[in-house]
Amino acid sequence: MKKGLSILFVLLAVFVLAACTANESAGEEDQDSGDQTGTTEEGTSENSGDKVLRLNNGVEPTSFDPPEGFDAASWQSLNNLMEGLTRLGQDHKPQAATAESWDISDDGLEYTFHIRDNAKWSNGDDVTADDFVYAWTRLLDPEEGFSSAFLGYFIQGGEAFNSGEGSADDLGLEAVDEKTFKVTLEAPTGFFLNVISNPAFFPVNKAVAEENPEWYAEADTFVANGPFKLSEWNHDSDFTMVKNDQYWDKDTVKLDEVHWAMVNETNTEYQMFESGDLDTSEIPADLAEDLLDSDQVVIDPQAGTQFYRFNVNKEPFQNVKIRKALAMAVNQDEIVEYVTKKGEKPARGFVSYGFEDPSGNDFRETNGDLVEYDPEQAKKLLEEGMEEEGYDELPPITLTYNTSDDNKKIAETVQQRFQQDLGIEITLENAEWNVFLQDQKDLKHQLSRSSFLADYGDPINFLESFVTDSSMNRTGWSNEKYDDLIARAKEEADEEKRWELMYEAEKVLFEEMPIVPVNFYNQVFLHKDNVSGIVRHPVGYMELKWADKN
Amino acid sequence: MLRYIAKRFLIMLVTILIIVTLTFVLMHAIPGSPFNQERGTSEAVQANLEAHYHLDEPMYIQYLLYLKSIVTFDFGPSIKQPTSTVNDLLGRGFPISLELGLVSVIVAIISGILLGIIAALRHNGIIDYAAMAIAVLGISIPNFILATQLIQSFAVTWKILPAATWSSPKHMILPVIALATGPMAIIARLTRSSMLEVLTQDYIKMARAKGLSPYKIVFKHALKNALMPVVTILGTLLAGILTGTFVLEKIFAIPGMGKYFVESINNRDYPVIMGTTVFYSAFLIIMLFLVDIAYGILDPRIKLHKKEAE
Repeated sequence: MKKGLSILFVLLAVFVLAACTANESAGEEDQDSGDQTGTTEEGTSENSGDKVLRLNNGVEPTSFDPPEGFDAASWQSLNNLMEGLTRLGQDHKPQAATAESWDISDDGLEYTFHIRDNAKWSNGDDVTADDFVYAWTRLLDPEEGFSSAFLGYFIQGGEAFNSGEGSADDLGLEAVDEKTFKVTLEAPTGFFLNVISNPAFFPVNKAVAEENPEWYAEADTFVANGPFKLSEWNHDSDFTMVKNDQYWDKDTVKLDEVHWAMVNETNTEYQMFESGDLDTSEIPADLAEDLLDSDQVVIDPQAGTQFYRFNVNKEPFQNVKIRKALAMAVNQDEIVEYVTKKGEKPARGFVSYGFEDPSGNDFRETNGDLVEYDPEQAKKLLEEGMEEEGYDELPPITLTYNTSDDNKKIAETVQQRFQQDLGIEITLENAEWNVFLQDQKDLKHQLSRSSFLADYGDPINFLESFVTDSSMNRTGWSNEKYDDLIARAKEEADEEKRWELMYEAEKVLFEEMPIVPVNFYNQVFLHKDNVSGIVRHPVGYMELKWADKN
Repeated sequence: MLRYIAKRFLIMLVTILIIVTLTFVLMHAIPGSPFNQERGTSEAVQANLEAHYHLDEPMYIQYLLYLKSIVTFDFGPSIKQPTSTVNDLLGRGFPISLELGLVSVIVAIISGILLGIIAALRHNGIIDYAAMAIAVLGISIPNFILATQLIQSFAVTWKILPAATWSSPKHMILPVIALATGPMAIIARLTRSSMLEVLTQDYIKMARAKGLSPYKIVFKHALKNALMPVVTILGTLLAGILTGTFVLEKIFAIPGMGKYFVESINNRDYPVIMGTTVFYSAFLIIMLFLVDIAYGILDPRIKLHKKEAE
């Protein structure tokens, strides 16, 4: 017994020791980070009155390598750490940024950018044309495998190189001299200055990258050229950026420091906002109704559409009248008002609000409502469609959505409308995102939920999704006239004509109705009263250059 | 004893091999791939990506490569976080989960046992009922609800503790309470019932008859035997708590290991799925092994090895 006891004690001791060593190392790490935070805190208290903005990034940024960080988690901060040739301004239109000016050739194919003399990297290096050639070539390099590469297809030879057919030498990129960068495009692209504000087009400091290919992985090796630079990065935990004193427009930047937490739970984020640990927060779904009227709420439109896709290869959706009937039985107003409840606009077209044609008219307003809730008309179309197909009874319909509470609620609302207005019973089915996406791409669904978020600010980004065999089509729908209109719009140098083609294309889409739009998206945030000047672009990234905290 | 350990060790290896194989098969059986994105990439890009992560090799080669990575304990790069390797992720997350877990386990064990003993000694008294009421609450309130409520009270309303994140000892208090309450309640109930049973045994009466102080009877004679059931559940409890709890780490924004389990599956991040599974199962198996050994030591009637028993 005694022996047994002593062995037990030895075991316990071993366990406790193991625990202690684990604890020690953990403690050390803690101390390290504690020290670091200590220094920053000291720094903060030394210059008391420093403006420190506290934001939440949700999760660890995927990557700060510009073309690799192709998602909101990377963009939010990356867009403030770096800067492309242009930057979207407070009006969401491209402004001169790293480039102070540019010349566009008459045929709209050649862009010559003049980079600012005082455009510098945070390590003091000049930002050069070579840095852009290097970065943009990498963006398109098939060996790198960046999912953002498609944005570079506007550049001459871009698609060929990225598809493994061309070579980097044939790309339309040229460093004329140290500060002059010339780009040749495949076709005149009226919105090219908008596209290149996307973080995928940020320059990369070639000298730094060649010496250390993973320069973007840690704070101490990261070189920035934007309003802020990275000062600390505790992976999976938090990161901090401070004002970049090398930035050409540093006098505009008001904040001294931006601290980013990684809180991936909206309730906690909101509680941290309430307790003063964060200056902005998203709104927890359960509180949306109560909080939406508060003074602290800031609502910005997001260029994107939630919609359902019909699979035109599956019965009964081969029939356009049946598609239209169901589309007209979706009550967008009801969904926006009682289900999503975030002040979204109902969608009665595919292209969202906020895109102005050359004469200053909004695309959505000009092209009008292309589908409207109309149960009477829907019933009539359904009968006609069923007669055309010789149906006595409609084949069973399943609506599939990727698993989420919101998607479920919307689908249930749609289900109810179909039943009440058309007398159709549909089945709901949900699947985990990755499975769902694969099935949708393989055209296995009948009717399925989708969302589109714009990559850059032009309607063509929305509309080209539905050309034949596009990876974004996923309806099986194919229409020669539509394909032709989109192809022509992409070639058209005259802006007026280009917009006409796009207006027409969207009308064709809704005459055929392979999709049912539901709502356009919003970006809804709470801001503390003393925070101002945060700009959130419809294309998804935010600007802190003009942000202030009093 | 040594033979027993050797045998157990072999069984442990086989178990891990089975787990690894099953995970590998299941992981590749679910539809979708790590590169399954909304917008299709060019075929050349797709091929390059697959080649980079050896996903273009036949399955058996991938399996062998995987076994190799386990033996060398080098799971390769994460697909979702391209700048980190799986070892980086484990190295970053595990110490934090371990720290949170250890503190919680210690708090749960000490408070659970104390609560159990007090309840047993004051059997059917007010203190017993109070202690057991706490225990029932602890078991029945899910920790994520407790967590949210703790944050609401201590951080938002009273503003005496930080709401979330992991940067100072003060930040540990709320997550530890949320994490320890459930296990504490279980331990308290187990301790109470087995303590009650032990206290009626003859040798306790004997000790009483000898005139030993109640303190000595409880802590020297009764407690050791009463703890057997507690030891039984410790293994799973430890492994579960120490390797990170997804929900609580998410609520408190603690950069531990928990999220990798769930997110790696959603992202089809094959190397991370395999890395976390192997790590977790190895940890669990070792914990269970230690518990078995401790069991044999605590109660000599349980023989670990049949031959030894003969």
